[in-house]
Amino acid sequence: MERVDANLINEVNKLGKGGWNECFHCGTCTATCALTDEGLIFPRLSYNYLQMGLKDSLASSVEPWLCYYCGNCSEKCPRDANPAETMMILRRYLTSVYDWTGLSRKFYTSHWWELIAVLVIGLSMVLLLGVFNPNGIVTELNSEGGVKINEMFPVHWVHIGDWIMAAAIGGLLISNVIRMWYLVIYKDKTVRVPISAYFTSFKAVSEAAVYFATQKRFSKCDDKKYWAAHWVLMSGYVSLFTMIVLFLPWFQTERIHAWYHPQRLLGYYATFALFYGLFFFLIGRIRKQREIFKHSHLTDWFFVVMLFLTTLSGILLHIFRINGMPSEAYYSYIIHIAVLVPMLVIEVPFSKWAHLAYRPLAKYFSELKKSAPRQMSTHG
Amino acid sequence: MDKPRIGMYICWCGNNIAKMVDVEALAEEMASLPNVVVSKNYKYMCSDPGQDLIMKDIKEANLNRVVVAACSPRIHEMTFRKALQNAGLNPYLFQMANIREHVSWVHTDRAEATRKARALIRAAVTRVNHHIPLIERAVTIHPATLIIGGGISGINAALDIADAGKKVYLVEKSAELGGLASHVVEFYPYFDKGDAVIRPLIDRVEKHENIELFLETEVKDISGYVGNFETAITPKGGNEVKFSFGNIIVAVGLKPWDPSPLENYGYGRFPDIITSWEFDDWLAAGNLSKKNGKLPKNIAIIHCVGSRNSKYHEYCSRICCMVAIKYANQLRSALPDANIYELYADIRAISKGCEELYAATSRKRVMFIMFDQEHDLPEIIKADASDSCDMIIRVKDTRIRKRVEVPADMVILMVSMEARQSAKEVSHTVGVSLDKNHFFIEKHPKLDPVATTTNGVYIVGSCQGPKDLPDCVSQGRAAAARVLGSISRGTAHVEVTTAYINPALCSACRMCLDICPYTAISFDESRKVSGVNEVLCQGCGTCVALCRTKAINIQGCSNDQLMAELKALLLSDAG
Repeated sequence: MERVDANLINEVNKLGKGGWNECFHCGTCTATCALTDEGLIFPRLSYNYLQMGLKDSLASSVEPWLCYYCGNCSEKCPRDANPAETMMILRRYLTSVYDWTGLSRKFYTSHWWELIAVLVIGLSMVLLLGVFNPNGIVTELNSEGGVKINEMFPVHWVHIGDWIMAAAIGGLLISNVIRMWYLVIYKDKTVRVPISAYFTSFKAVSEAAVYFATQKRFSKCDDKKYWAAHWVLMSGYVSLFTMIVLFLPWFQTERIHAWYHPQRLLGYYATFALFYGLFFFLIGRIRKQREIFKHSHLTDWFFVVMLFLTTLSGILLHIFRINGMPSEAYYSYIIHIAVLVPMLVIEVPFSKWAHLAYRPLAKYFSELKKSAPRQMSTHG
Repeated sequence: MDKPRIGMYICWCGNNIAKMVDVEALAEEMASLPNVVVSKNYKYMCSDPGQDLIMKDIKEANLNRVVVAACSPRIHEMTFRKALQNAGLNPYLFQMANIREHVSWVHTDRAEATRKARALIRAAVTRVNHHIPLIERAVTIHPATLIIGGGISGINAALDIADAGKKVYLVEKSAELGGLASHVVEFYPYFDKGDAVIRPLIDRVEKHENIELFLETEVKDISGYVGNFETAITPKGGNEVKFSFGNIIVAVGLKPWDPSPLENYGYGRFPDIITSWEFDDWLAAGNLSKKNGKLPKNIAIIHCVGSRNSKYHEYCSRICCMVAIKYANQLRSALPDANIYELYADIRAISKGCEELYAATSRKRVMFIMFDQEHDLPEIIKADASDSCDMIIRVKDTRIRKRVEVPADMVILMVSMEARQSAKEVSHTVGVSLDKNHFFIEKHPKLDPVATTTNGVYIVGSCQGPKDLPDCVSQGRAAAARVLGSISRGTAHVEVTTAYINPALCSACRMCLDICPYTAISFDESRKVSGVNEVLCQGCGTCVALCRTKAINIQGCSNDQLMAELKALLLSDAG
C-alpha cells in the first residue's frame, strides 16, 4: 500500500507556482477538459496524487502528457487553483523523475545550473570552431561570389560532430524513455502488459506515430490556433534538424543554388515556420492574455530565446554566405553553433523538448495499459 | 339553536374558477339544498363588495350559517369569519369549500371539474348544518420565565429576558454555567478566545438581579398551561422552592459521543488517540505532547466519527468539520513542522467565514484525504519498528479509489454529538415530543424554529439538533423575544377547536390519558370520568380516534360534522 508523503508538495513547489493548495476537488477542471477520457481522468486525479504525496502513483501516471494546456480548466476553476499550469509543472516534475542523471532537476530548479551549462557547452563550441579551428577565416570567394564555408568548417568534420551530438542526445533521451516505461508500466502492479502487446497492438503504435507527426490531440482543444502555431513551429524545427543532422553535406554547400532549389526552398520554409511559431509564442508570453501564456517558467524563456538566437544567427549566416562576406559568415557560423548545440543538448533529453518523446509514448503506454488485463490490485 | 338558514356563495375568482367550473349553474343548483336560503355567485367574494354581499344577506335574509366556495381556507377563511363577526354572527358558523386549488387550477375538463366542485360544495353545505357557535378565549400570562439549561443558548435567553426587566428562573443540572461552549479554547472561524466570549456572559448571569440561578438542580415536574405554569424544585442542599411562570425555554443541549464502539479507531487501545473534546482540554492545558512526552510529528484528524453513519448516528453533527479545520490551524501554529492530515467524508463549511477558513487552511500544508464514512471507515494499526511513526492509518481515498497509508503519532477523533440521556425526561416534563434521535421537535422547521406545538414552551440551541455557537445564541435570543412578546401582550389566545369529553359516555378506561401528547387530559377520581384541560389541548384529535365509547369530540370538528360532510361528498353524484 502506498504511503502518503506530505513533502512531495515542497519538492514540486520548486518547479513552478501551481495552485494545488487551493484545489478542493469540485471536479470542474475535468468536466471542462476536452481531452480527458474515461480511465484517464485529468487534471483532477493528478491533483489528488500531488496533494496526497503519492509519488509512485504520480510517477506512473501519463495524464500530464495528455494535456495540451488549452487553459479551460484554469479559467473555470472556482478556487483559482490553476490546473492547467499545474499540469505543466507536473510535466516538468515527470521529466525530472524520468531523468536518471538528476541534471533535469538541476536545470529546472536552478538558474545557475542552466546558465553555466549553456555557457560551458557554448564556449567549448567557440573553442572548437573558433580557437582550435586550423582553417580560420578563408577570405577568398568562390566563382559564384559566395563564401567558401566548407573550407572554413569542413562539412565532413562538422557532420561527424553532428552525429556525436545526436548520439549523445538520443542516448540520453532513450535512457530516460526506458525509465519512463519502467515507472509507467513495469512498476504499476495493477496491470501486466504482455510483451507481445508491444508489437501486436498496431492501433496503439500507429496512433502514437500519428500523434508524433500531427499532435492531433492538441487540435481537440477548443482554440485550434495554438495547435496550428505549434505544428508549424515543429515542422520547421524537424525539417532543419533533419537537414542538419542527417543530410548536412546536402545542406551546407558552397554552391549557391537557384532560389527554387529544394535546399533553399526547404530552408526558407523552415526558417519562416520557426519565426512564425516563435513570434506567436513570444508575443503571447509577453502579453499574457491567454492561460497558456500567463505563467512563464525560466526554462520557457530559455527555450524561446535560444531558438530565436539560433534562427537569427542562421539567417545572418545565410545572407553573409551568399553575399560573399567571409569574416561575417565565419563569426555567425560560430555563434550559430554555440547557441544551437547547448540548446539541443539541454532541451531535448533534460528539459522542455523531451516532450517530443514523452507525449506520444504516454499515449502509447496508456493504450497498452488499457488493453492489458487488470491484476488483483488495491483498486476497489 | 334556531333552524339553520344557510347562505351559499360561489366565487369566480375573476376567471380562475369560472373558466373551469360552471359557477352559475352550481349556484342555481345549490339553492334547492335543504336549509339553503340564499345561493349566489360573484366575481370576487373576498373583495369588499363580496363581503358586503354576505353581511347584507345575513341581516336581510336572517342567515345563521354561511358557506363560501372559493380558494383555500388558508388564504381567506379568516376574511370571511371576520365578515360573519361584523354582521353579528359567530364566526365559527362558517365553512369554506376549496374549488380553486383543489379544482379549477388542477383540472382540464370543465364538466368533470364542475362535478368535483359540486361534491365539495354539497359536503360543505351539509356540514355547516351541524356547526355550533364557539367562543374564543384568552388566558393571562405570568411575567416570569423558567429556563432549563445554563449553556450558551439558555444564558443568552435569560439575559435578554432579564435585561427587559422580567424575572427568570435559570435551572442548570451541572455545577457550572456555560455548557459545552465553555470547554472551547478558541471559536471558529475567527479564533476568538473561548473565555473572552463566554466568561463575561456567565458573570452577568450570576450577578443579574432579575435572574434566580439554581445550579446542580433539576426540574422534575411542571403543572399548568401557557401563561400559568408552576413547579417545585429542590436546589442542592436547600429546601424546596415553589414558583409560577408563564413561559418555559428548554435549552438542555447535547453531549459528545464516546467512540469506543468504533473499534477500527482504537480509542482506548492506543495511547495517543483522543476525542475532539479531549483535544480542547489539551489545548487549554497548553500541552500537545504525546503520552511518552515527545511532540507528535504526524497528526491525523478523523472526521465524522459516529456521524453520518447508519450504525451510529445518521445525522451530521454540524460543527465537527469546522472544529477539525480550526484544530489544523491551531496545530499549525503550535507545531510549524508537523504533518497534519484531515481524513474527511465531505467538508461542510457552511456558516459565515467558514468556507474562507477552509480555503485558507488548505494553504497551510494540511493534507485532505476523503473516505467513505458509511461503507469504508479508516483503520488505525500500530506501526512497525522500522516506521518513523507510531501508528498507521489505512484509508481508502474515495476520489482516487485507492487505499493509502497515513503515518500518525497522534489521532484526533471528531466525535459526533448526541442527545443527552435526560432529554426524554425533560420532554415529558414540558410536554414536547422528541424525534427519533431524541432531539426536541420544533413547531415548524423553517417558519417557527424555536416554538413547539405546546403553547408557552420554547426549545433553543442544540437540544433540537447539533448547532454551532452563533445558531445557539440566535435561538436563545429569538425565544427571549417570543417570550417577551407574550409577556408584553399579557394574554394568550387558546385554541378553540379543542376536545371535550361527554361524561355520560366516558367508561373511565383512561387510555386517552396516556396517548395525549400534550398531557391535557386528567382523570377526575371523584366523578370517575376523564376531563380535558382546554388550555393545554391543541385539538389534534388523537384521543377522539382512540376513544372506544365515542365519548370524546372536538368542538368545531365533531363526529357529526365530519360524517355529514363525508356522506354528502360520497353521495354527491347520487343526487
